[in-house]
Amino acid sequence: MSSEILRLFWSFGIFIIMLSIIGFYCVFLTYNLIRVLIGLELLIKAATLLLIVVGYINGHEALTQSLVITLIVIEAVVMTVAVGIVLGIRSRHNSLDVRNIREIKG
Amino acid sequence: MMKKAAFWLALALFIGQAGLAIFATPEAWGHSLSVFGTHLKFDLMVDSLSRAMLLCISMVLSISLLVGRYDISGEEHRFNFVNLLLIMLSGMDGVVMTTDIFSLFVFMEVTTVTSLILVALKKNNEALEAAFKYMVLSVVATILMFSAIALLLLVSGSTSFSIVQAALETSKHNFLIMFAIGIFLCGLFIKAGLMPFHAWLPDAHSAAPAAVSILLSGVQIKVLGAYTIIRLITSIFGYTSSVTYILMLVGTISIIFGALGALGQRDFKRMLAYSSISNMGYIVLGFGCGTTLGMAGAVFHLFNHAVFKSLLFLNAAAVESQTGIRDMNKMGGLASRMPLTGITSVLASLSGAGIPPLAGFWSKLIIILALWMAGYHGYALIAIAGSILTLAYFLSMQRRVFFGKLNEEFAYIKEAEFGFSLAAVILATVIVGVGLCFPLLLNTFLLPIGNIFGG
Repeated sequence: MSSEILRLFWSFGIFIIMLSIIGFYCVFLTYNLIRVLIGLELLIKAATLLLIVVGYINGHEALTQSLVITLIVIEAVVMTVAVGIVLGIRSRHNSLDVRNIREIKG
Repeated sequence: MMKKAAFWLALALFIGQAGLAIFATPEAWGHSLSVFGTHLKFDLMVDSLSRAMLLCISMVLSISLLVGRYDISGEEHRFNFVNLLLIMLSGMDGVVMTTDIFSLFVFMEVTTVTSLILVALKKNNEALEAAFKYMVLSVVATILMFSAIALLLLVSGSTSFSIVQAALETSKHNFLIMFAIGIFLCGLFIKAGLMPFHAWLPDAHSAAPAAVSILLSGVQIKVLGAYTIIRLITSIFGYTSSVTYILMLVGTISIIFGALGALGQRDFKRMLAYSSISNMGYIVLGFGCGTTLGMAGAVFHLFNHAVFKSLLFLNAAAVESQTGIRDMNKMGGLASRMPLTGITSVLASLSGAGIPPLAGFWSKLIIILALWMAGYHGYALIAIAGSILTLAYFLSMQRRVFFGKLNEEFAYIKEAEFGFSLAAVILATVIVGVGLCFPLLLNTFLLPIGNIFGG
């Protein structure tokens, strides 16, 4: 890899790293279930951006396009199931705060 | 009518797969089959490791189906369960047979989403909370693995195993590649439930219905975790000293802390879940030493653990269905009321603890021998110590649940239903049979698995 390509990669890489940090912050340090889901979305977006950048640098745009579309489909399925679980939790506890629903111990 | 037929159809499918995995000749599986020609690359390949996994998958899924028939109430629920099981079968078979990292990732997601729904199947507070925890950790694992795949794509330009491997050969000590391998392994450790990343496993196992616990512990963590680690390291990453070091360290930590966690539990299914973490540690440790013998031992232990842990979860389900509780301190003397459950659980525990004629002894022996022969004496001693701890927690479980004084509350309970007994007898027969036929299996089935590396 030449230094030109590497510089291109890192200029996008900064955004990817920022997105990941925000996402991890949302997932592990907030108390709202919906915010956890938003954090997971941000993380998946960071991974998607990484894949697009890789395809652009590599010249394999066609391959990456199909991979990105597959990833979006997977993301939609996972998030649908996740929102279903969150709705179930909400209808039982009448709250979205993680601190109220820590029943499992050990 | 349709809904009853689905059950038998699924059972026939699972048994058919087991038959293919055992009896089909290596030549029939040997060549890769490209499904949609050259336009949509979808290469499948089956070697002896995949065949062992296919056998494991079909066996555990059919046991889970049998248990689910009695354990899950309501026709509609059972029908959903059978359908989810079939989706899970397709996902797992895909993981086992694929030769492309991206397809591997897609099939892993299919399996993960299915098991997510299965954990939340009871829809009570505990199940939903466990499913949420599992969901967060498995999506994080997914993202780690996906980023690693993207970085590997940057280096190689394709996602096929052989092309990525060839690209990695030329640039081995690049920082990006080391980073990619590291986060890929982290994601797989989360999926396998190994010790620093284990938080989801005990909750999910104890909150799910019994049939699903069998599935999760018996085959899901193995296919998504152990098998994928073995496959990726043998056919892509290759053994480097840092990979060996990470695998052995994580394996040892899992063995010791999983066993200690199991000793401290009161809940029957939670204790079995911690025991699963400990046994996954054995598999990774045996594989991590990097010799043919170690790999054969790891795969054999994987098979044995699938059998005896399914049997123990089955016993837990039988006890729970009769007594209605899972707290081990409140039970006692159940062996006199439920003799079949008692006998099979003794067999399974002894196999898990490594008592000579049973199957679990041979696999632990091979792993410890492989470690000793590869020069890792310290790790071998830790593995032996872990084995003693295993014996301790299984004996404690037996004493608290099946022997000792019978609680008056349970004086009139009966043996569990026919489905449970049938499945328990089948699994106990497999444990004893494999243990006794071990010398026969060693040369014909096990050592060829170890030969995957190199050749």
